Amino acid sequence: MDKKQETLTGIKDAFPVVLGYLPLGFAFGVLANNDAAMTVGEATLMSIMCFTGAGQYIAVGMIKEGAAMATIILTNFLVNLRYFLFATSLVPHFKAVPTRIATLLSYGLTDETYAVSVTHYARHPATAYYLAGLNLTSHLSWIGSSALGTYMGKLVTDTQKFGLDFALPAMYTVLLVLMINRKQDAIVAAVAALICLVIGGLVPGSLVNMSNVIIATLIGATLGVTLKK
Amino acid sequence: MSREMVLLIIGMSVVSLAPRMLPIGTLSRLEFPERLQEWLSYIPAAVLGSLLAMSILIRDKALAINISNQYIWAFIPTFVVAVFTRNLFYTLAVGIGCMALINNFL
Repeated sequence: MDKKQETLTGIKDAFPVVLGYLPLGFAFGVLANNDAAMTVGEATLMSIMCFTGAGQYIAVGMIKEGAAMATIILTNFLVNLRYFLFATSLVPHFKAVPTRIATLLSYGLTDETYAVSVTHYARHPATAYYLAGLNLTSHLSWIGSSALGTYMGKLVTDTQKFGLDFALPAMYTVLLVLMINRKQDAIVAAVAALICLVIGGLVPGSLVNMSNVIIATLIGATLGVTLKK
Repeated sequence: MSREMVLLIIGMSVVSLAPRMLPIGTLSRLEFPERLQEWLSYIPAAVLGSLLAMSILIRDKALAINISNQYIWAFIPTFVVAVFTRNLFYTLAVGIGCMALINNFL
């Protein structure tokens, strides 16, 4: 294994994630400053220590509404529960990575880094260097853009003008296409998508804590096992 | 920095990081049974299917399956490019480019 090459591949694979995080992180910073009166230091610390896009947006919204600290933390717990599932599904890939390092680098596990890395692991073995390149680059872009957003605060620029609001949907599209290697994968993805939307439509609260994603994933994967090869 | 904000950030940090780090830290020494491994192998497709559907069809916290949802229009060329090129960069370029056109001119 070429350590330098692995790290560079990780950094290169982080490119689309960074493209999505720059406007998202920036927007978080702007909201944190405008809506929740957070300082640059506070918003940056939150991005360093939490690295949870959905969770941080929720925190800002709830601070604005005057929610209790315990409520904000509990909602964040629910929003982040899906990572338990993601992380467990990565365990078989990390056999050759020292446990302590894999655990430490999982700090940077997000929807986006997960999607990119599982696509990579479908064709290449996992290494600590790849994971470090991907996760740390992604995290740095999140920290930097949210700090900048808080700093620029009131001078909100329109990220939609550049179509950047579609960066993450476009990334999910190609990653899903790359993930479909078996006929069963396509069925599982379609059924999970449907369940996720139905639950989201029936129980709007599930969209906030993303419990619909968890339920759809559990049902989808279980269906996959029962499908004929 | 207010004390309350720091406490909030620490609390959020614990609940955000524990679900990501604990499984890797505690389960890595276990050899999963084949059936469980197969089940886990379907998780990426299920997760991505869910996230993609949500990112296109949920707008402003509500289901938006109608022709005025511009993400659906941007999704069509993006999906075609993704299927034919299987390339992250081209797909992003087309997706973002189409969205910029729609946002500015429609």
